[in-house]
Amino acid sequence: MSQPPESPDLMDSAIEALTDRIRERVAPELDMDEVFELFEQLRKTAGAIGVRERTGEIDEFGMDREYIREVAPVLDLLRTRWWRIGVQGADAIPREGPVLFVANRSGMLPWDGLMVADEVARQRDGDRPRFLIADWLITLPWVQPAMARMGGVRACRENAERLLRTGRSVVAFPEGAKGATKVYRERYQVQRFGRGGVVRLAAELGVPLVPVAVVGAEETNPILFKVERAVRPFGLPFVPVTPTFPWLGPLGMLPLPTRWSLSFGDPIDPADFGVDAAADEIAVSRLNEEIRQDIQRRVRMLLEERLNPFA
Amino acid sequence: MSGVVAITGLRTFLGRRLAERLAEGGHARVVGIDHVRPRRLPPNVDCHIVDLTAPDAGATLAEVLHKESVTTLVHLAFRQEPSADVEADHELDAIGSMHALFAAAASGVERVVIESSTRCYGPRPDNPNFLSEAHPLRGHRHDHRVRDRIEVERLLAQWHERHADIGVTVLRPCWMLGPEADHPIARYLARPVVPMLMGYDPLIQLVHEEDVLGVFEQAALMPHPGTFNIVAPGVVPLSLLIRSAGKRTLSVPHRFLHRLRDFPSQTQTGDEPSGFYDYLRYLWVADGEAGWTEFGRPTYDTRETWASFVGARRLRSMS
Repeated sequence: MSQPPESPDLMDSAIEALTDRIRERVAPELDMDEVFELFEQLRKTAGAIGVRERTGEIDEFGMDREYIREVAPVLDLLRTRWWRIGVQGADAIPREGPVLFVANRSGMLPWDGLMVADEVARQRDGDRPRFLIADWLITLPWVQPAMARMGGVRACRENAERLLRTGRSVVAFPEGAKGATKVYRERYQVQRFGRGGVVRLAAELGVPLVPVAVVGAEETNPILFKVERAVRPFGLPFVPVTPTFPWLGPLGMLPLPTRWSLSFGDPIDPADFGVDAAADEIAVSRLNEEIRQDIQRRVRMLLEERLNPFA
Repeated sequence: MSGVVAITGLRTFLGRRLAERLAEGGHARVVGIDHVRPRRLPPNVDCHIVDLTAPDAGATLAEVLHKESVTTLVHLAFRQEPSADVEADHELDAIGSMHALFAAAASGVERVVIESSTRCYGPRPDNPNFLSEAHPLRGHRHDHRVRDRIEVERLLAQWHERHADIGVTVLRPCWMLGPEADHPIARYLARPVVPMLMGYDPLIQLVHEEDVLGVFEQAALMPHPGTFNIVAPGVVPLSLLIRSAGKRTLSVPHRFLHRLRDFPSQTQTGDEPSGFYDYLRYLWVADGEAGWTEFGRPTYDTRETWASFVGARRLRSMS
């Protein structure tokens, strides 16, 4: 981001001009109200110099449209060249109104959330959904502000509810950390879907659920094994060991160029399954499990279609 | 005339300005309370000297409140400047508030308005983006003044159970700025080069001093029972806030922050530096909806508050 150079000359001349105007008006007939009004004007002008009118682009969750425009070429490169993302079922995405997307979580960093959100934004003419990210990502320097600017929001009920209520779509990963930190040999086994919070939220707000299967993100940073006991004294839950991390240092965090596929399912209205705001826990968890199995089925189908992760 | 309003902490910024506003409005008689007589007493305001850190402060204050037949007590007597004296801060902020509450109950006050802060929620990576009034007050273990303020709220809740007939309004403003702002946060943000934490850029929420005063005035005159976040609409990332004023940011790895001289940290508050800089690291933005419904929307949003603060500072530095 380049900054416009500060111009003291501009400020000086503006103040001079205003001071002249004050003198002009004050001299003939000292009207104090007018003096105060001009003083207020002077105050506002002085305050506004150098204040760039860019803050309007940032919304209450910290998403920065200008920043997204700046990084759009990189996102496009990732989508078309690096991961060569294939998309199925994009026509089924509702074009209007808030939607709660439910996807399987994989890979350490939330590349999958970013790319699902990006794909939906392209399908919905720039109406970019927010993707929910785990708490621990928010503690990481540089990751936290970058994620917030690109539409990442901490995963919690309050945030998801506020977003959906204000008409914004959300990409949720109900597997949570269990999905993000599974080791390579458990790849593409969709984990338990939390406690059904996603279904309950959609039912309470009357928002459609769209299941999304993501294949390819699992191999971007494959965790071979986790070092747990040795790093406990340092306050870390575990350190992942991938083919490139920690051997290459921060470079090892770069995602590998696997081929990705996204598969969007048809929108599910919880009311069609007899799940509404007053539904009992059993009905909620039944639908929850059904969505998990649907995503698991889609993942298997996509896996059968591909030859190997990089082809 | 809708009764008599007593303001503890008459010499604080809020206390002085609120007393002026209420006396000017003429809707209530104003009694100011502080442990030192202010150099310039606002017109039509009576002043009483009560030291809230004294052991018999409760009785003394109750006597004053009773004698003046006070109907509303606005409690604003909290330490304004950072100090490293943890004990003294606790005596004033926590124990002083206890004395004030006991005095209010003993003297038959109808309503109590008390100042708290959204800082009591604490900056946490697991905070939702907008904290509602019902969110637990987790504070920060390295900020002893926030700890004291949380204790005040806890004390108040217990006290309110015993005195349910007294209306209680808790107002939690966030960082308050404006033309007159002169407190550690204002001085920190007014630097030409503002230190930030390398790799972090949280969303910041501000509120204008005039809007806060307006809310306190309403709460002092009419019953508005409940707890309210007093914040301006809108949030701005810290880096953008600073750069938009033509200032520079200095990114410092958080391990080195405490080495910066003159940084509002351990040297001034006796606390670990994280007690301050975690507020520049994680989110602690509050949801102002309840307050806006109760008291009306603020005139300044976060950006305008910032512009008003920066503009006033510039004019002052030019004159």
